[in-house]
Amino acid sequence: MRGLGWRRPILMGMVRGSSSALLGVTVLLLVSACSGPFSSATAQSLEGVVIDPPQEKPSFTLTDTEGERFDFGAATEGKLALLYFGYTHCPDICPVHLAQIAESLNELPDVDPVVVFVTVDPERDTPGYLRDYLDNFDHRFVGLTGTSKELATAQEAAGVAVAFRTGEGADYTMAHAGQVLAYAPDGLGHSEYPFGTRQTTWINDLAVLAGMGATGSR
Amino acid sequence: MKHRVMATVVVGAMAVACGEAAATPAPEVSAARIGAPTGPNAALYLTATGGADVLVGATTPVADAVGLHETTMTSAGAMSMTELDSMDLDGSLVLEPGGLHIMLLDVQPLRMGDTVEVTLRWDTAGEQEIEATVVDPADTVEGLTR
Repeated sequence: MRGLGWRRPILMGMVRGSSSALLGVTVLLLVSACSGPFSSATAQSLEGVVIDPPQEKPSFTLTDTEGERFDFGAATEGKLALLYFGYTHCPDICPVHLAQIAESLNELPDVDPVVVFVTVDPERDTPGYLRDYLDNFDHRFVGLTGTSKELATAQEAAGVAVAFRTGEGADYTMAHAGQVLAYAPDGLGHSEYPFGTRQTTWINDLAVLAGMGATGSR
Repeated sequence: MKHRVMATVVVGAMAVACGEAAATPAPEVSAARIGAPTGPNAALYLTATGGADVLVGATTPVADAVGLHETTMTSAGAMSMTELDSMDLDGSLVLEPGGLHIMLLDVQPLRMGDTVEVTLRWDTAGEQEIEATVVDPADTVEGLTR
């Protein structure tokens, strides 16, 4: 499933080292042989974890912070979309992801993705609470909730680990998928962003993904 | 040959320094930082260096309760938090996003740039007062190399 995402550092290391030009060429050939149908020059400039072949955008409908039904496929059609499953009591990885995305978008005034945060903790994350939480980062971020069953269905559709409760009592925590999923305007998931993604990667990839329109690579 | 002589001198100097520092000093704490709270909980990260000791707890006036936590990846690919009884310092102890952190529960509103007093409790060195700076959550990742 994971293509160039993990091969790229090896390739770059070989080219940079270049103690043996022949070896460098061999590695290049191997990489292109393994990358199959994935040959878009635009997609190759992605720095996130590349998904090869690209994945279909998931289809699910949940409820937004205004209480309206939100059809993920319809609302993001032809647009760059980011999808992340988390919860507001999460102190560690959720705020880092969201702050990184918000700050990257400040650097990219021409990129206007639909950023969707789906709670995996509907019991504590009421719509109002979810709205206040997301407003800490960017007022444009969409917050979604639903029944436990609807939320599990959405996570399954997106192909991520379904979240579950850990710990006891009121201060329980949720184990949940740590990666942010990205869908280009062409409707496909070309890459994903695990926790620990660097800010420079976000800024590079958001600009690249925004240019991957329905007609393919630029 | 010259290099080998140099290396021997350096190792000798280090051995002397370590010998003198054998009397369990408080660990040296750096980069103490808290991601500005966006929900009810926040995380404190820091780097501690020193001899062997064990971090057994922490308190701060800005949180109702404090826990030692570790974020790990489950076999199914989910990020999960576990509460720990202690964290071992063995030369160094690094608390960073996606790994170890000190969780501040029901934290008071904090603004970026604020300084927060935190008391660390070490098994051997006892209580240690430190100051942590409140930073943008994205900036807690500084130095993350994974």
